[in-house]
Parts: sequence; C-alpha cells; structure tokens
Amino acid sequence: MLAPLVMALALTPDALCAQRIDSIPPWRVAVRTVAIDERLAVDAGLRVGDMVVLAAEPGRASGDTVRISAIVRRRADPSEVARSEYRIRMHLGGLQDLIGYGDRVDRYAIATAGGVAADSALRRINALAFGFHAYPSREIAVETSKTFVVVSRFHRAIGMITIVASATFLLCIMLLKVDERRRDVAAMRLMGISRATVVRAVMLESSFVALLGSLFGVGLGFVVSAFVNAHYQGVYRTPLRFAIITPGTVTYSVLLSLVLGIGAGALAARRLSRTPPLTLFGR
Amino acid sequence: MRFQLAALSLRRHASRTLLAVLGVAVSAAMLLDMVMLATGMRQSFASLLGRNGFTIRVSPRGTLPFDTEAMIGQAHQATDAIRRIAGVTAVAPVLGTTIHVLGGRGPATAFALGVDPAVQGDYQLLEGQNPAANALVASDALLRATGARMGDTLDVAVGFDPQLRTFTGRRRVIVAGRARFTYLSADDRAAALPLASVQAMGGAGRSDRVSLFMVRTAPNVDPEATRVAIERVLPRVTALSTAGAIAEAERRLSYFRQLAFILGAVSLIVGFLLVTTIVTVSVNERIGEIAIMRAIGVSRIHVVHQIVIEGVGLSLAGAAAGLLLGVFTARWLNSILRGFPGLPDAIDFFLFQPNSAFRALALLVASGIAAGIYPAWRAASLPISATLREEAVG
Amino acid sequence: MSGQPLLLVRDAHRDYPRSAEAVHAVRGVSLDVAQGEYVAIVGPSGCGKSTLLNLLGAIDRPTTGSVTIGGTAVSALPDNAATRFRLTNIGFVFQRFYLLPVLTAQENIELPMAEAKVPSAERRGRARELLGYVGLAARADHRPAELSGGEQQRVAIARALANRPIVLLADEPTGELDARTGGDVIALFDRLNRDGMTIVVVTHDEKLAGAARRVIHMLDGRVIRDEPLLLRRA
Repeated sequence: MLAPLVMALALTPDALCAQRIDSIPPWRVAVRTVAIDERLAVDAGLRVGDMVVLAAEPGRASGDTVRISAIVRRRADPSEVARSEYRIRMHLGGLQDLIGYGDRVDRYAIATAGGVAADSALRRINALAFGFHAYPSREIAVETSKTFVVVSRFHRAIGMITIVASATFLLCIMLLKVDERRRDVAAMRLMGISRATVVRAVMLESSFVALLGSLFGVGLGFVVSAFVNAHYQGVYRTPLRFAIITPGTVTYSVLLSLVLGIGAGALAARRLSRTPPLTLFGR
Repeated sequence: MRFQLAALSLRRHASRTLLAVLGVAVSAAMLLDMVMLATGMRQSFASLLGRNGFTIRVSPRGTLPFDTEAMIGQAHQATDAIRRIAGVTAVAPVLGTTIHVLGGRGPATAFALGVDPAVQGDYQLLEGQNPAANALVASDALLRATGARMGDTLDVAVGFDPQLRTFTGRRRVIVAGRARFTYLSADDRAAALPLASVQAMGGAGRSDRVSLFMVRTAPNVDPEATRVAIERVLPRVTALSTAGAIAEAERRLSYFRQLAFILGAVSLIVGFLLVTTIVTVSVNERIGEIAIMRAIGVSRIHVVHQIVIEGVGLSLAGAAAGLLLGVFTARWLNSILRGFPGLPDAIDFFLFQPNSAFRALALLVASGIAAGIYPAWRAASLPISATLREEAVG
Repeated sequence: MSGQPLLLVRDAHRDYPRSAEAVHAVRGVSLDVAQGEYVAIVGPSGCGKSTLLNLLGAIDRPTTGSVTIGGTAVSALPDNAATRFRLTNIGFVFQRFYLLPVLTAQENIELPMAEAKVPSAERRGRARELLGYVGLAARADHRPAELSGGEQQRVAIARALANRPIVLLADEPTGELDARTGGDVIALFDRLNRDGMTIVVVTHDEKLAGAARRVIHMLDGRVIRDEPLLLRRA
C-alpha cells in the first residue's frame, strides 16, 4: 500500500473520477501540480495556486514542491465516511518517485464496455496474469460493505423492536377508545343494530386512522431523513446520503402500519361485539 | 386503602392494564438498551485500552495507531528519547506487518506483530512461552488455519513479489506459544514475533522502524503532561493518551451515541404518553366515582394520590419487566454489532451498569408520576354537584 | 327539640351563569333545622331542592347568603376545610347509591373512615356494626354488582353513617327502588331518626315525604310552604 505523509491516489489525468470544483487551465501549469480534496483545503487553508511540499515521511525538511491546481470533492463512498484522512491526487510517476516505489502500482481499475465484456476481460486477465488477480468491482464492494451489513442488521433489529412497541401501544389505545364508547355501542345493540354493523363501524374508523397515521408517518419520515442527511453530511463532511426513502420503503411502511392499525381495530371490535349489551351498560 | 383502591382499579380492566404494562416494558427496555449503548462503548474501549497499563500510544504524525502503513523511523533513538521523559516507566515498540505461513495446507496470511516480549501489551499468553529469536506465538485461528501445533516449525515470509511469484523475507520459526491477542477478534489469524526478527525479515524497508510505541507511566504522573512531552521531543510523531483515544473512537462512532440519545428520548416520551393515556381514560371512566369520593369527604390531594399511585404502579411493573426484557434485547443487539469486521473481542457495545440502568428506569417511573398528576388533578377539581348531576343524567 | 338550630340557612341564593342569562336555582331561601328533626323537601323537577341539599351538605357554596351547620359557617369554608367538614359531620345518600364497584360492601363503608384515619381494626368493627344495623351483616363481602338495588342503598346509608355525622342528607334515596325496597329504606330512615339522627331528604316519593315530621315545599328556587309536625298530623 502507498504510505506517504498524506494518502494519495496516483492516477493518470484522464482517469480522474472525482469532481473538479476549482482548477487552473493546463496551459498555465509550469511546475508539478496536484489536486487536493475539499476537506484538506478547508482545514489547512489552502487554495488553488498555493505551493506545498510533499514528503514521504513526517519531519523531513525536503520533499517535492508542487502547486495546487485543483480542489476536488470526494465521491460518496460509505467506506470512507468515518475516516478523517485527507487525499491528494497527483501524477503516477511523481508519487512513485516521491516514495521510492519504482515502476510499481498497487492495483489497476479497468473499465469495460458492459457486463459481457467485463466477464470475458476478467477471464483473460486471470489466465494471462502472474502474481496478481482480477476481481469484479461488485466483489470488492461486498467485501468492503461488511461493516454496513452489520449496521443494516442493527437498524433492522431496532426497527423490529419499534414495531413491537408501536403495535402494543396501538392495541392499547384502540381498546381504550372502544371502551370509552361502550355505552353508545350498548344502546345501538339494544336498538337492534347488528354486531356486524358495530364491527364494521369500528374497523372503518381504525382503517381511517391507520391510513392517516401512515401518511403522516411517511411525511415525517421524509422530513427526518432530510434532517439526518443534512446533519451527518456536515459531521462527516461527505456528500454521502445516509437515509434514503425509496418507493419500496414507503410501500412497506404504509402496508405495515395499515395491517397493524386494522388488526388492532379488529381485535378491539371483536371484544366489543362479543360483550352482551347489558354488560356494556355495567349491569 | 389508597393502594388497595389503586390495585383494584388496575385489576378491573386486566387486559388493558396488561397491555399498558407491556407497552411500558418495551419502552423501558428500549430506554435501558440505549443507556447501555451510550455508555457501553466508552467503558468497554477504556477498559480495553487500560488493560495492560499503557496510558499513551505513539504513532506516526497525523495518523492513528495502525490506521495507515506509515512507520516511525529511527526507532531506537525514539525509544531512548521517550524513556528519558520523567514519569515514563516502560516503552513497548510494536511493528505491524503481514506474514505468509507457507507449506502444510497452503499459504495462510496472518497479521503479525513485532514486539519486545519483556514489555509487550498486545497479547495474553495462554500456553507456552514468549517468543525468542526464530519463534512466534500464534492465535488459535492461525493454528487452525495452518494445522500447526505447539513446537511445530513454520516457514514464514513477510513479503510477496508478484512478478517473480516468490515470497521474500523468509524464515523458519517455531511455534513457542498460543496467545489471545487483546486488540484483535478471536477469528483473526495473528502472530507475535520478536521485533528484531520482523525488522530483519522486512529488510531495509523495516530496519529500525516501528508502527507504534505503547508507553506506560507511573501511577502519580499525569498522562496528558507526558503526552505533550513526547510530542515535544519527537515532532515527527503523534502521541495519544487513553482519554484522547477514547474521544477519537467516540467521534468515529458518534452515530451510535446520537442514535442512543434519540431513541432513548423517544422511548421515555412513548412510555410517558402511554401511562398518561391509560390514566386519563381510566379517570374519565370514573368521574362519577371520583365525585362521590369528594362528596363523602375524601380530599382532593388524596384523590390525586390514589390516581397517581395507579400511574406509578403501571410504570413500576413496566420498568421491572423492561429491565429483564432490556437485558435480553441488549444481548441480541450486542451480538449483531459484534459482527463488525476486525472488532476486538473485548469490545462490547452494550454494557450493563447498575447505576446508569436504575437511574434511567427511575426516570421512567418519575415520568409515570408526572403522567398521572394532570388528569388526576383535573378530575379531583371538577365541581362535585355538577359532576354528580351529569353522571346522573348520563 | 329546643335550642340552637343544627342547620341554619340565611337568605341563600345559588345562581349559575349561562351565556344568555343566569339560572337562579335557589332564590333567597332561609330555614332552620333543629337537632333530631326529620325534614322532607319536595317540589317539581327543577325547583332547586337538590341544589339546596348540596348547599346544606357543603358540596356547593351559595352565591350569596350563608349556611351554618353545627355552629360552623360552612359556606365560608375553603375547599379543603369544607371537604374535611363533610367527612366528619355530614352523611350523604344519593339516588344512584354510587358505591365503588371494586370494593366490597364492608370496604365501601370503611372508605370514609380510612380517609378520617380511623385505625383499621376499629373501622372494620364499626363497618360490621353498621352492616348489622342496616340488616346486611351476611353481605359484607359482596361487591355492589352482587347486591340488589335496595341492598346497595342500605350499604350507601351505612357508609353515610360511618364517621358518626351530625346530620344525614339524602337526595331521592328511593328514586331507583321499587315500592317494596323503597319501603325498607323509608323504615330505616324512620329508625335512624328515632335513634336521634337529624335527617333532611329531598324526594318525589309521597310515602317518604309522608314519613317525615316536617315538609318544606319549593317552587322556582323558593320555599313556598313549610309544614311543621303538628299541622301535618292534623
């Protein structure tokens, strides 16, 4: 691995994949130039055009004098979120010279025309290569995502606990609401209104409340996720989106809250309809 | 008689009371878990760092220990300089590298530490001896992967040249001991060798270099002052005290603390709302009874007492059940988070500390008291005659 | 029955402010009730008799005027003091019994004594004694739902007597009862009065009014006729 004072990704100019947000036109460049990330620029007070000295080890008085030609914004890479390191991009040869690496690199990133081309390229490289191995990018992503798999499992567990708590609370509230109106229901039953009508009335009410509640919850979810993203993007200084609400998430949430709400209403209605009217009156 | 009345009132609607207790229990469990999460990481990490008495870690400037592959050069000079600082009682150099164990079942890769066995703080010997020259101690995971046992000789290398497909820095070493590595997980393949051996195997690239120094200070010495002194005599390093390391770890894991705070607050609010709702509905159902009690001479404050006792009863029962449920769910959640790759075995995210736990549950019970006060006071303050009249008509 | 009246009402008014105009439930009522009297207050619905009873029982306070019971100006007492006074001096019986459904008959009687901090052994004994007095000794451990209407009303009367009040006030005590059970309650009131209890009842029940020694007629918040014992027997 590369191990200079600051982490650097040495890429040829054409392979720069970060967003260049501030740069000097190439015809004005006279000395070796580097691109630094936004975080380093802010923390060290650096600007485009500043001259800096790069060294491979701390405390070295001499090194490579370079000019900052661009300030770049990092991609939203989850695996980099918690790390507070800085990044510099420079020409490959410059970095190799600086750290005495010789004519070596750690890895290549290869772009292909599409899925089939990627698979065949992979096979050819692995058949020809000696001393190294090619992997599809998605395999690397899986390996580096293990931390986030754990975080996802944790979030799901918290979600399950929250759902159990909400369901209990909901059932409690529905029973209370139904209990409050037991005399009204008793009067209706004595008048000749059927059990089925009573149950339907309660179910209709609980469905309406569940629907309204779930819509409100979705709205609240959008607001909260916007807040979460704004907050953590500021904390970790990253464009990464931490909370994303997808159509699937919305559908799942609405369906679950409808099921829970209607289920709680059904249980409460069943209890109410099975109690004899005179008992509901307290006689 | 107030307690008796409160208990009977709760029993009157047994299923409702049970559901309310269950709801409060889940809130209490969540609150307890979040308190455990908020304090657990810090306690656990502090315990891990302080385990062997090393209060300061010294790494290459601008980096955290083993965060990068940067190394500290002129290690001997640096060791001497640190030892000369007043209050320093021991300096343990550590060089981290990757080793390849060859032969047997095929090359197995492991993380290796070059240490001074006399002052190391990275492993706990389970069996055998500390490594002398040309020996190592290995983790159980490495022994399983290689099929090696105590006393076996292993062919190890520190480098691999992909062009020539050859291993570099090879040496034959004896398995001198079996160890548990303090800062690694049980599944990690790891080995410890004498520092000089690892430096020699690494060639010029690792000569007189270390990844990290661990420093022990005297009990009455302020580690912060020693830390500052180290950075003064060695400008090319960053010294981190245990407190600083904990702060850095907390910063990186701040998400969990914030989540713990938010979920804990939400749990408290939900528990409060549940008890308020139950008590309010219960009071509304018994407005007539309350008016009668006032009419026969039961004072307002005693009526409030009785109703508040009901709220407290719900909260206490819920808190007790929540304590058991919370410990159980904390174990489950902890087992999930312990799946983080590379997490040292000694780290727990959820740590039960009786003081914090009981403080949190006491807060929940206090919220139960507060939840009962308003509906109770409202009911006890209603005009008696008007209420009796309305109840008669109703 | 000579001496200072036990209950003294002087020019009592009770008004309820409404959005359109105030309701004058009691208008300038003055009356005395002596120790040991048995008084019935009668009148059509809405004439203010229940409101007057609430004023006598320190459950409500007159807008103007005064109410004095046993020498204490209850109309001037703050709420806590009025509550305490009610607990130890006034027994109240309601039309709908209002027993606490979660307590047994005996426990319902003990409730006011517990509030008055009577030791538990003493209050248990007194409750049993009162249950015997009202003829329900065998029903001590029954909850209100297991008692008939008449039995519930007798337990309510026993509860009203728990702290040895100086006056018993009853608002339509036979209102929810049939003729036979109502008769039992009337007989009980009669017995109580012969034992020295001062009783004031509000009632539509002619039999109950007929059992009293004095009848006060009300209409539109005013006392229109007050028939003492001698006149009535004639």
